[in-house]
Amino acid sequence: MKSTSYSEKTLDHFRNPRNVGILEGPDVAVGKVGNPVCGDLMYIYIRVSDDRIVDIKFQTFGCGSAVATSSMTTELVKGMTLDEAMKVTRNDVADALEGLPPIKMHCSNLAADALHDAIKSLREGRRGETPEPLKVCEVRSSCGLPVTKPPAIEGAEVLLGKGVYRRVEEPKAFVDKRVLIVDRGKPSVDVALDLTKHTGMVIFMSSTKEPSSKDDPRAPLKRSDVKVIYEAELIAVLGEGEVEKVRVHDLNENEDYELFIDAVVILE
Amino acid sequence: MPAQVYLDYQSSKPVDPRVVDAMRPWFTERFGNPSSLHLDGDEATDALERSREKVAQFIGANKDDIIFTSGATESNNLAIIGYVTRNRKRGDHIVIAESEHISVHNIAKAIEKQGFKVSKVGVDQYGRVSVEKLRKKIIDTTILVSIGWASSEIGTVQPMQEIADVLHGRGIALHSDAVAAEGLVPIDVRKVPIDLLTLSANDIYGPKGLGALYIRRNVNIAPIMPGGGQERGLRSGTEDMPAIVGMAAAADIMASEMPAEVLRLAHCRDRLIEGVLGRIPKSHLNGHPRERLPNNAHFRFDAIEGESLLLSLKDKGIAVSTGSACSSKTLEPSHTLISCGLLHEEAHGSLEFTFGMWSRPIDVDRVLEVLPGIVERLRSLSPLYEKEVKA
Repeated sequence: MKSTSYSEKTLDHFRNPRNVGILEGPDVAVGKVGNPVCGDLMYIYIRVSDDRIVDIKFQTFGCGSAVATSSMTTELVKGMTLDEAMKVTRNDVADALEGLPPIKMHCSNLAADALHDAIKSLREGRRGETPEPLKVCEVRSSCGLPVTKPPAIEGAEVLLGKGVYRRVEEPKAFVDKRVLIVDRGKPSVDVALDLTKHTGMVIFMSSTKEPSSKDDPRAPLKRSDVKVIYEAELIAVLGEGEVEKVRVHDLNENEDYELFIDAVVILE
Repeated sequence: MPAQVYLDYQSSKPVDPRVVDAMRPWFTERFGNPSSLHLDGDEATDALERSREKVAQFIGANKDDIIFTSGATESNNLAIIGYVTRNRKRGDHIVIAESEHISVHNIAKAIEKQGFKVSKVGVDQYGRVSVEKLRKKIIDTTILVSIGWASSEIGTVQPMQEIADVLHGRGIALHSDAVAAEGLVPIDVRKVPIDLLTLSANDIYGPKGLGALYIRRNVNIAPIMPGGGQERGLRSGTEDMPAIVGMAAAADIMASEMPAEVLRLAHCRDRLIEGVLGRIPKSHLNGHPRERLPNNAHFRFDAIEGESLLLSLKDKGIAVSTGSACSSKTLEPSHTLISCGLLHEEAHGSLEFTFGMWSRPIDVDRVLEVLPGIVERLRSLSPLYEKEVKA
């Protein structure tokens, strides 16, 4: 079966998704699942009164089935009690959509998980708060900066001066290069912002969550041309004689992937 | 002509109706086997050798340097595996480009299992191989470099002449998979000293299931499939005469019509690129801005995913491709896009348009009519598209 062999019902929910949007207020809880790196990210917002879901909305980045399962889930559980909603499974959502292509069952049928996350968050008293990702890395302090000295990055010493930089003295060296800057607080943010004047490909990588406060030193990155990867760690710099790529650990998914770049800035 | 707006010519091309006419008698009336010694066999042998001549002329080659295969995949396997097997005593190292199609990466994996060593040369943000970096990858034991002439996906054309210059006089063979480039950019093996070149019939509007491999004289390869010894012993199996005659007819037509057709396709491409980048905020062109195939426009759109774009265009009767993982068999995003330095979420949001023989400027107008609305709708669902991005 092709990955896009969708049922008519799935296509209908993709074309005309129900309950799109966000909810706000003290009686709202939010659930999140997925990660843009994998191609799917969903938020489910529930408003609860007398233990019942009285309103529900979603936002989804993803493929056809990611949108359709989000929409179907909101329709299925609206009006349910929280206990009833906790029993709704991915299979229930797929059945209600008259089936999903097998390959999509696990990768993009995640909306039930986002719903359960929202209910758990409500029960843990996190109403109205930004959701925690489902799998949270432990090595963080409350201000978001790493608690301990960051772990050694494999290959960074060997390739020092061959694409790995400890300081940026001559920004012209980065013209048209794909540059990765590792989060080392405000000085590294300043370097990232400055380098956008010299190259169109500046990536900033931080193990912290996306900042919610304007006072966070990383907040200015949002309105810049810097591409930012949050909740990820640089674990290795790779290349034969010069930097060719890096290996990144995605803290959310607990998975590694590679990025092709020309230079890495790891400030001292 | 396709009923819908078909802008996915890199995935499949129609067979030119004139090619079908040329092929037809070879199914029913002229069905001789070139290996047979009677008159029907002689007729087939004549047609086989005339076809070989036409395909050779198309790339400036000598007739005897062409062998027919079942397609580009077989030609690539025969070129790479056949070459390294035959030349193992001279070295065990090959170089391919990071940006190559996954099929070439998989051939490289297969020969690594046989003990060969493979290095991958990086590409820049536009998908172009840096000649400087290639030079650094070459070692004493390097025997083969394989770099696709152009990317069928992002459309970037490689500096083949410069690449050939780097290898010149060093006893290292150069293979190029030219299927994305054939019929779209001039290929002449007299000007660019390629040793092994992969061609496919369908990419020049010939039939599917047929390809060719150009093997420069004095370049030796081993067969990868034992059999009856056809095609100089390098590719056994009774020749597929209708398809071979079809590929020759396609090459003949392409040789005369290519200059005008390339201009026509480039006009469609440029109109689409200008329209999309001008009308859709946060849209970007993938691949090289100038050194790109005349029929290829490849975009990415922030905060949305490619399969959703593809499905929405499908609903409007427009056929395209995407590099998103969600549309692939492996659930991995396109390796070519990742090798350019794109983040995974950027690769997921990519969309590829390729023009071909039935494409008209009105197809571009249709895309520009519906695409901005589709992008806007999907962004309105997306948690990644923040209000401040809109501002």
